[in-house]
Amino acid sequence: MRTRPRLRTETRWAYVFLLPWLLGLVIFQVGPMVASFVLSLTDYDLISSPRFAGLGNYAEMLKDPKVAAAIGNTAFYTVLHVPLAIAIALLLALMLNRITGRAAGFFRTVFYLPSMTPYVAVGVLFLFLLNGQAGLVNQFLGLFGIDGPQWTTDPAWVKPGIVLMSLWNLGTTTIILFAALRNVPRELYEAAMIDGAGPWQRFRSVTVPMISSALFFVVIVNTITSLQMFDQVYTMYFGSQSAQQSSGDAALFYVVYLFQQGFQFLHMGYASALAWLLFAIIAVITVIQVKAGNRFVYYESEPPGAAERGTR
Amino acid sequence: MTSAPETRRAFFLVMLAAASAVFLYPFVWLVVASLKPRSRTFADPFVPWPHPFSPQNYAAVWDAAPMLAWLVNTLIVGFMAALTVTVSSAFVAFGFAYFRFPGRGVLFGSVLGTMMLPSAVTLVPTYLIWNSVGLTGTQVPLWAGNLFGSAFYIFLLRQFFLSIPRYVFEAARVDGASYLDLFWRIALPLARPALIIAFVFELKASWFDLMKPLIYLQDPRLFTLPRGLKAIVDQFYQGGDPKWEIVLAAGVITTLPLIVIFFIGQRYFVEGIATTGQRG
Amino acid sequence: MSHLASLRLAFRRHGRRCRGSRAGAVVLAGGLSLALAACGGVGAKGGTPAGGSAGLTTMGFGLPDEIATTRVAAFQKAHPDVKLTINQGQFDEQAFLSSVASGNPPDVVYLSREMLGTYAARGAIQPLDDCVAKQGIATGDFYPAAQQQVRLAGKWYGMPEFYNSIVLLVNDKAAKEAGADPAKIDASDWDGLSALAKKMNKVSGGKIERFGFYPKLPEFLPLWAKANGADLMTADGRTSQLTDPKVIEALTYANGLLKEQGGWTRLKAFTDTFDYFGEKNPVTQDQIGMMLTEQFLITSMANTSPDARITVLPFEDRQGHPISNVGGNAWAIPKGARNPDAACQWIKTMTSADTWIAAAKARAAKRAQEGKVYTGTYTGNAKADKVIFSQIVRPSGHEPYDNAIKTILAAQAEGLVVPPSPAAAEFRTAWLDAATRVMQGRAEPQAALLQAHGEAQRALRGAG
Repeated sequence: MRTRPRLRTETRWAYVFLLPWLLGLVIFQVGPMVASFVLSLTDYDLISSPRFAGLGNYAEMLKDPKVAAAIGNTAFYTVLHVPLAIAIALLLALMLNRITGRAAGFFRTVFYLPSMTPYVAVGVLFLFLLNGQAGLVNQFLGLFGIDGPQWTTDPAWVKPGIVLMSLWNLGTTTIILFAALRNVPRELYEAAMIDGAGPWQRFRSVTVPMISSALFFVVIVNTITSLQMFDQVYTMYFGSQSAQQSSGDAALFYVVYLFQQGFQFLHMGYASALAWLLFAIIAVITVIQVKAGNRFVYYESEPPGAAERGTR
Repeated sequence: MTSAPETRRAFFLVMLAAASAVFLYPFVWLVVASLKPRSRTFADPFVPWPHPFSPQNYAAVWDAAPMLAWLVNTLIVGFMAALTVTVSSAFVAFGFAYFRFPGRGVLFGSVLGTMMLPSAVTLVPTYLIWNSVGLTGTQVPLWAGNLFGSAFYIFLLRQFFLSIPRYVFEAARVDGASYLDLFWRIALPLARPALIIAFVFELKASWFDLMKPLIYLQDPRLFTLPRGLKAIVDQFYQGGDPKWEIVLAAGVITTLPLIVIFFIGQRYFVEGIATTGQRG
Repeated sequence: MSHLASLRLAFRRHGRRCRGSRAGAVVLAGGLSLALAACGGVGAKGGTPAGGSAGLTTMGFGLPDEIATTRVAAFQKAHPDVKLTINQGQFDEQAFLSSVASGNPPDVVYLSREMLGTYAARGAIQPLDDCVAKQGIATGDFYPAAQQQVRLAGKWYGMPEFYNSIVLLVNDKAAKEAGADPAKIDASDWDGLSALAKKMNKVSGGKIERFGFYPKLPEFLPLWAKANGADLMTADGRTSQLTDPKVIEALTYANGLLKEQGGWTRLKAFTDTFDYFGEKNPVTQDQIGMMLTEQFLITSMANTSPDARITVLPFEDRQGHPISNVGGNAWAIPKGARNPDAACQWIKTMTSADTWIAAAKARAAKRAQEGKVYTGTYTGNAKADKVIFSQIVRPSGHEPYDNAIKTILAAQAEGLVVPPSPAAAEFRTAWLDAATRVMQGRAEPQAALLQAHGEAQRALRGAG
């Protein structure tokens, strides 16, 4: 088709277009990853020279009860948040899919609005709403005679309170699932009905497989963001000394601890070691999810544009 | 037949309306509480109007903090972040979409790969880079990383460019257009919707960001709204000097512009998110 | 905490300089050269303070009232050439340390005197001895206890602002309902206090309506320990005494008060809704029976609720001697401040007797004009206080407040100091966390304090 010289010019131009990405990849991704690992082998406080510490930081991490607490808290939150968020978002999306039309557009907007609220504002808002003595949530529960827990001060209830707050932010997940539901061909349902399938069977054998790739996507994305939870929690329970007292370590999430070590205590080496552990954890979880996903996800009709993936 | 489908639809409408109330009421509470005097902040949480009405809270927050400067900062940083990431990502995406060259598969794989890389992992080295070039304490690190494109938008825009029929480009080539012309004169204008999606998404992301302003900004005059709001919470909620009306009013001021932006660009937000889910 | 030691050394060795070089070397190891290449420019930028135009930036200080604004005006009048930038907002450790580390610190910082030791040891703030000598700051005017708080290893690291003392604030209505004469409450009788707390406390259906006696844990643990005859730390600031049985007993007792009144988690959520400095403050709202508090709550109430029915008593140890803890902020100059001379002038103005007296006069005039009560300004400057309380503060006719002034001044004289220490911040965090764990029911006092003791000792050893 093309002559060789033309091809080479084209290749050169291709790399011109790719240049920003390649630079960014080296400066802000690969370089920092490697630097992060090198730093994790040092004690570095930003002012004096880094001192080689070998695996000292990693050994310290094993002994640090706060690392264990942070991992436990983050895992607790993720395990509660991801299934709950997806179940509720799916429920909303299913209902939206049943009504369709302008009303569906209206409700979709409503469900998305909380997702347009900056996380700091969400944290602020829920500090008030979750107050155990006077907050809206417990006053609402009180209407039903329920004596609500102390969401912001009882270490046993701080994380459930954070999960509750996180469930206010379902807009993105709902929209993704709703879009996937709308792409399920009606004929499949009709065929299933002719076969005598009830609503639950239709859901199990038509809906779930047909939206499985979207489900899989929201599981992965929600998991990764949960593991990196920071903004809301830091707003509510960290930053000032008295804030820290109300929750103790109950709200110490992994990235919060990483941030504290790196930028409050200026333990850059230790923070880098924490970062690498986080990277390893997220990588392992994602690989497991992808492996599991490949077994369950049903790819019948490739989404538009997916054909291009062949070039990868 | 019976009107069973109608009944069912009505049932779902009621359920959705109930769910909407749950999602909307926190906003109502926030706005109402921000307009009440401090002594009434927690009182009558189910009354959806402020009583007594206390709009002076918004004057108080203006006095307590440089809200206007923070708003302007947020807009500047957000605009710079969105503009740089849109243009640079489009540039790179065009490279991936238009050209066939050795290594393309591997390189595009690296784009997808970095989408999975948690930003927390590179936090410390990235800070050291900005510190070493003397830019900590400025707003530059809040957006300048976007000059190099961002994986998600590169992916999004590449998909869009791929949907442009190739003969459009080839025809321009025959007319003597350079590759830069193809990008600038043909690809960009045609990709307008996708560019807007990228722009509004990044604007939102930048408006949300707390971590980077915490790390890079120490001078309150340079704060963005979320960083400023955090300072206000620390002082007027947690700091032993409770002034909830200021905290709440600042919360509204931080949120409201974004809600307005959302209503203007709603189509693009919804479309963008729906596209996200389809990449499977 | 070997980090601290190395930090301090580093700060001593280097002033402002090319901070990028080491970071650059590390990043270079990661395959980058950008950092190193750009570093030269930064080194050139640092070093000298901004030439002719003198600017002064403060951190951690706000302008809430005339006490602040009067003194700021005095500074501006005396130094009209200094371009002043007051970055309002609370002191934020993370922002402060980041600003010092990245070479953009404020010129002067306003922070708790308790934190000075740690930052001095870290080298984040500089000694003020030269400043004191050059500006002729009358350090002898400061209360001895306040002086002690801002000196470390024989050097000045800060100049004291306010002088806070702790007193027992009683809501007369609650006391009378509990059958007690508020003026005769015996703070040295722990059994009696606990019985009274229970009587004053009102809980209905899981909701706390009145917090009977707020012992102000965890913040006031040092006071409770002292009431039981123990100090948290040795006088030299080098050894933790958190495992002293008397400290354990004090924490057990004060935590018991909380348990009996509904439990900390509920009480804390309740106190989070207190509008302390507003007209609907918890005492006038009858949300509090009695509480230990710094005197500034009372001076604020004099403004918002001049007719409140309250009684202010000295807090006492178990032998019946009045005790109090000294608190307050200080002004310090960060390492690398661009304009340390102006910072020093600022510190002198803000803490000098004349300025305090002018500020107190302004407040007295304002309160008189509004028909409100002026209960004095409690400064770290003894010379200023002498004038304020003998010439400016006048009997108001509001008996509770007039009596309160006497009580507060008496408490001041009994003020105790948590010894300054190079690991003060870490030490404080350790015992605060321990007390919080106990209050949340996650640990027993003995175990919690043992853990805190370990943490504190590690920090103290590291700080050398």
